[in-house]
Amino acid sequence: MIGIWLGGLLRRRPARLGAAAIGIAIAVALLASLGSFLAHSKATMTDRAVRGVAVDWQVQVQPGTDPAAVDRLVQATAGVQASAAVGFAQTTGLSATTGGSTQATGPGVVLGLPSSYQQLFPTEIRVLTGAGTGVLLAQQTAANLHAAPGDVVNIGRAGQAPVRVTVVGVVDLPQADSLFQKVGAPVGAQRTAPPDNVLLLPQAQWHTTFDALARSRPDLISTQIHVLRSHQLPQDPSAAYTAVTAAAHNLEARSSGGAVVGDNLGAALGAARQDAAYAQVLFLFLGLPGAILAGLLTAIIASAGATRRRAEQALLRARGAAASQLIRLAAVEALIIGVVGAVVGLAVAALVGRLAFGTARFGTSTASASAWAGIAAAIGLAIAGAAVLVPARRDLRQSTVASGRATVGVLRYPSWARYGLDAILLIVAGLVFSATSRNGYQLVLAPEGVPTISVSYWAFAGPALLWIGAGLLAWRLSDLLLGRGRRVIAWVLRPLTKRMSGSVASGMSRQRRPLVRAIVLLALAISFAASTAIFNSTYRQQAEADAQLTNGADVTVTPAPGTTVQPTAAQQLSGVSGVKAVEPIQHRFAYIGTDLQDLYGVRPTSITNATALQNAYFHGGTAAGLMHTLATKPDSILVSAETVKDYQLGVGDLLKLRLIDAVTHQPRMVAFHYVGVVSEFPTAPKDSFFVANAGYVAQQTGSDAVGAFLVDTGGQHSAAVAQRIQHLLGSAATVSSIGTVRKSVGSSLTAVDLAGLTRVELSFALVLAAAAGGLVFALGLSERRRTFAIARALGAKPRHLRGMIFGEAGVLTVGGLVSGAVIGWVLSQMLVKVLTGVFDPPPSVIAVPWLYLGAVLGITVVALAGVSAAATRAARGPAISVLREL
Amino acid sequence: MSRSPARSTLEDTSLAVADGRALIACHNVARTFGSGPNAVVAVHGVTCQVLPDTRVALTGPSGSGKSTLLHLMAGLEQPTSGVMSWPALGGHPLGEPGRIGVIFQGPSLLPALDVAENVALPLLLGDTPEGEAAERAQAALDLLAIGDLARSLPEQLSGGQAQRVAVARALAARPSLILADEPTGQLDHQAASLVVDVLLQASAELGAALVVSTHDRLVAERLPNQWTMRDGAMTSGSDRA
Repeated sequence: MIGIWLGGLLRRRPARLGAAAIGIAIAVALLASLGSFLAHSKATMTDRAVRGVAVDWQVQVQPGTDPAAVDRLVQATAGVQASAAVGFAQTTGLSATTGGSTQATGPGVVLGLPSSYQQLFPTEIRVLTGAGTGVLLAQQTAANLHAAPGDVVNIGRAGQAPVRVTVVGVVDLPQADSLFQKVGAPVGAQRTAPPDNVLLLPQAQWHTTFDALARSRPDLISTQIHVLRSHQLPQDPSAAYTAVTAAAHNLEARSSGGAVVGDNLGAALGAARQDAAYAQVLFLFLGLPGAILAGLLTAIIASAGATRRRAEQALLRARGAAASQLIRLAAVEALIIGVVGAVVGLAVAALVGRLAFGTARFGTSTASASAWAGIAAAIGLAIAGAAVLVPARRDLRQSTVASGRATVGVLRYPSWARYGLDAILLIVAGLVFSATSRNGYQLVLAPEGVPTISVSYWAFAGPALLWIGAGLLAWRLSDLLLGRGRRVIAWVLRPLTKRMSGSVASGMSRQRRPLVRAIVLLALAISFAASTAIFNSTYRQQAEADAQLTNGADVTVTPAPGTTVQPTAAQQLSGVSGVKAVEPIQHRFAYIGTDLQDLYGVRPTSITNATALQNAYFHGGTAAGLMHTLATKPDSILVSAETVKDYQLGVGDLLKLRLIDAVTHQPRMVAFHYVGVVSEFPTAPKDSFFVANAGYVAQQTGSDAVGAFLVDTGGQHSAAVAQRIQHLLGSAATVSSIGTVRKSVGSSLTAVDLAGLTRVELSFALVLAAAAGGLVFALGLSERRRTFAIARALGAKPRHLRGMIFGEAGVLTVGGLVSGAVIGWVLSQMLVKVLTGVFDPPPSVIAVPWLYLGAVLGITVVALAGVSAAATRAARGPAISVLREL
Repeated sequence: MSRSPARSTLEDTSLAVADGRALIACHNVARTFGSGPNAVVAVHGVTCQVLPDTRVALTGPSGSGKSTLLHLMAGLEQPTSGVMSWPALGGHPLGEPGRIGVIFQGPSLLPALDVAENVALPLLLGDTPEGEAAERAQAALDLLAIGDLARSLPEQLSGGQAQRVAVARALAARPSLILADEPTGQLDHQAASLVVDVLLQASAELGAALVVSTHDRLVAERLPNQWTMRDGAMTSGSDRA
């Protein structure tokens, strides 16, 4: 019997089966794509974290322990590829006599490095000038001593005579923070900054210089074993973190207290682990609605044939088929749909991967891709079961043969509608949203340093409940309009259907449930597309703002340290091709109490010529308003929120800061008046700083020296303009373009490739919108071929058929798009608010991608119009042959 | 009573077609479904005419081609060969809804429209104003003694009631020709008798020709003429007019 049934299904109902399989395929493809993408993102995070670490482990040899023994222990540790012993010696100071004057520094650190060090740890030391091996000076130290390769530097030793060495090169230490960390000390006990004065000696020379000191003052000398580990780690940052930290703990345990591991690799993987959690949240938030939507699509497609299936079941029951047989038949149908959908879905996922990312596996491992494919296929089969088997089972239990053969039936409100579940969900969504907004919930916390995730899944309930509640409300309103508003529908359709408008509206009204479901599905698909696109667009807008904040402008020119540049130099930059505007900005340091903070002096009337200031950067006024205040009251100052809180400031309060006087080189008191809070400003750090009027600062300090020039290129060819400026200025200045910053800007959160994630999302949202509109409508029409055939047999002309079909398409289009637009808009506002912490800086307005939304609208309308045109053409065919077939 | 094969009326057909009196003229019409070895010849070699005063029962066993011939006459099927024409109906019948009232063998009511709306549908398709269409639909239902079912949905009707609604729908448009395919197939004897009465009465009142396909001998005998079909061919005809 199953074979006969199966054959009949495939021969007679290929369209319905195929459409349901397409719904499954979309769900499977979306899940497989997103899952593989998530796995790839995690692997990328691990890779990026590993690549960013210069020295994997810094193993501190504890006093009284033989460094060679620790080194042997390290080398015997699994996963260790190489190690190098590095000596750390405290110097009382360095001095050098150059150009007839002698410069001396305060205490510093002298490192002793083996000759293989740079080969083993190439990113720890960057040679700026001179040779790469021998006696090397750190850049800042070289500047302090006015020393260059060839100069002689004296190394001060506590209680011993200084040692003279000849410098052969100047280097930069990009990872100075981790290099000079206090190994084993908690975060709060770490140095606030790496030492200013650093000299690097070859290991043998270091021993010659400091071995004697080590005996007399062992507290000034220490040894670290720097370790290069194998980077064959698990792809998941969490697993990699666990593996690395466990190995570090194991080494410490085996050293019996002789060694403490500074686990730089573990720290980096720990941060990546946070990023992975964040990616998972985004996946959940952006991916889940898509999968639910695809599941709904399948269920609605399957339900399009429910009337016929019920009638067929009733016929079989009347002929004596047992319930178990009917369940088996439905199970076979679900299995066919599920398997075909899963296979097609996985093929589509592979294709999407190839098109979007250049590989069918989304760049992740075969095992990971296979796991996600398996999960997605299993979910596809579950959806097929839920969409076909569950309704069939329910029908068997609840309906009689007679009611099973009914095609219109008595339309009752479902239970959720009777109990007002839609209203309840919307109210709860509003309450949750209000509560989380009031609590100042932040998804991402970055009070100081590395951002961390603080996921409150409860906060996500707001948008989720809103989406579901709004979908149900759309159902209720559509049902109400099509039911009670039959006359309105008839009036609206009259231009299209003429005298048939009443009959068409009646037909639509009595068989409104499939149409209502199609409207709701379309609305949900549109709202999904809209909210995802708006979220993505706002994220990009803010990422761009972040890049501009970090770089300051399209191009930023920073004079070389120690040089004094006047604002008039802006004229020279203005002449460079491609430059639209140049704005000088002062950078000073100011003491407030004992705190040293950055102070930026700006020209308030013209600063926005070269850079953008968003209202979100300020509190206590708009960007324009506060700049106007700075211009009209030159002693005004903008202060960070933290400073306002620490010093209990109120607007208008007098604020006395100590700034360096250009003439006396001594601090002098400068009076300002606090007028507002600034949280972000171009080129400013993320922590506390001041913004003041440049003219006033220059007048009070006796210097109008510029800290940087902000260059506006109109957003065009920033890199080329930067190159031209660099060529003009040579090494006298550092020139950075926004393009370079864009790639590396921001927190580690940018490790999540949101662009890639949303690219997948937005593509599927388009498909879902088209499928929700076109496919569901097409199936609904297909199920009513008999109706159109009878009408044709009774003399309906093409214009009548066109009116009937396009009238229904019009109701679906308008209902779906309007509901979708409203839901999408509200959802976007809520989504952006809930995920505010993701944006850096927070947006003051959301960005609406009109082009994409226009494409969604266009594709949906074209899909519906195409289906309507095809259905009209099909309905014009020989009526009797259709009646004979059905 | 004189009997003659339908084929022998060819000359009469030519005359009727020539003077435009024939509602339907079939000349050597054939209809084949499918092709090749699986082809099924449903109708072949049928030549006949339906005049305004024709009241004929089309009889024959199941599968003899009665329904197909009726569909050809209604313009719902295209002949594979031969010529179909509707001289007195101004061309193809589907071009002017309501000129031919067709009663289908199976369920043919639109499930989403109530009985009154179903009956009014051909009128609306023929651009009759809504009010008038509703009145005529109700009148047709009353004629069939089912006026109280006007607001019922098709799925709430019994098979017999649905068939009577289909008859009412065919009559509401006041057609020039009524083609009924087994109109009493699902009715009990009493209801069947009523339907035949109504068809004959409406035919007389409207001046409409009537072709009823049936395998019910009692129904067939109530019509003045009988055409018999076997294996797709018209084997005999009777003319008592």
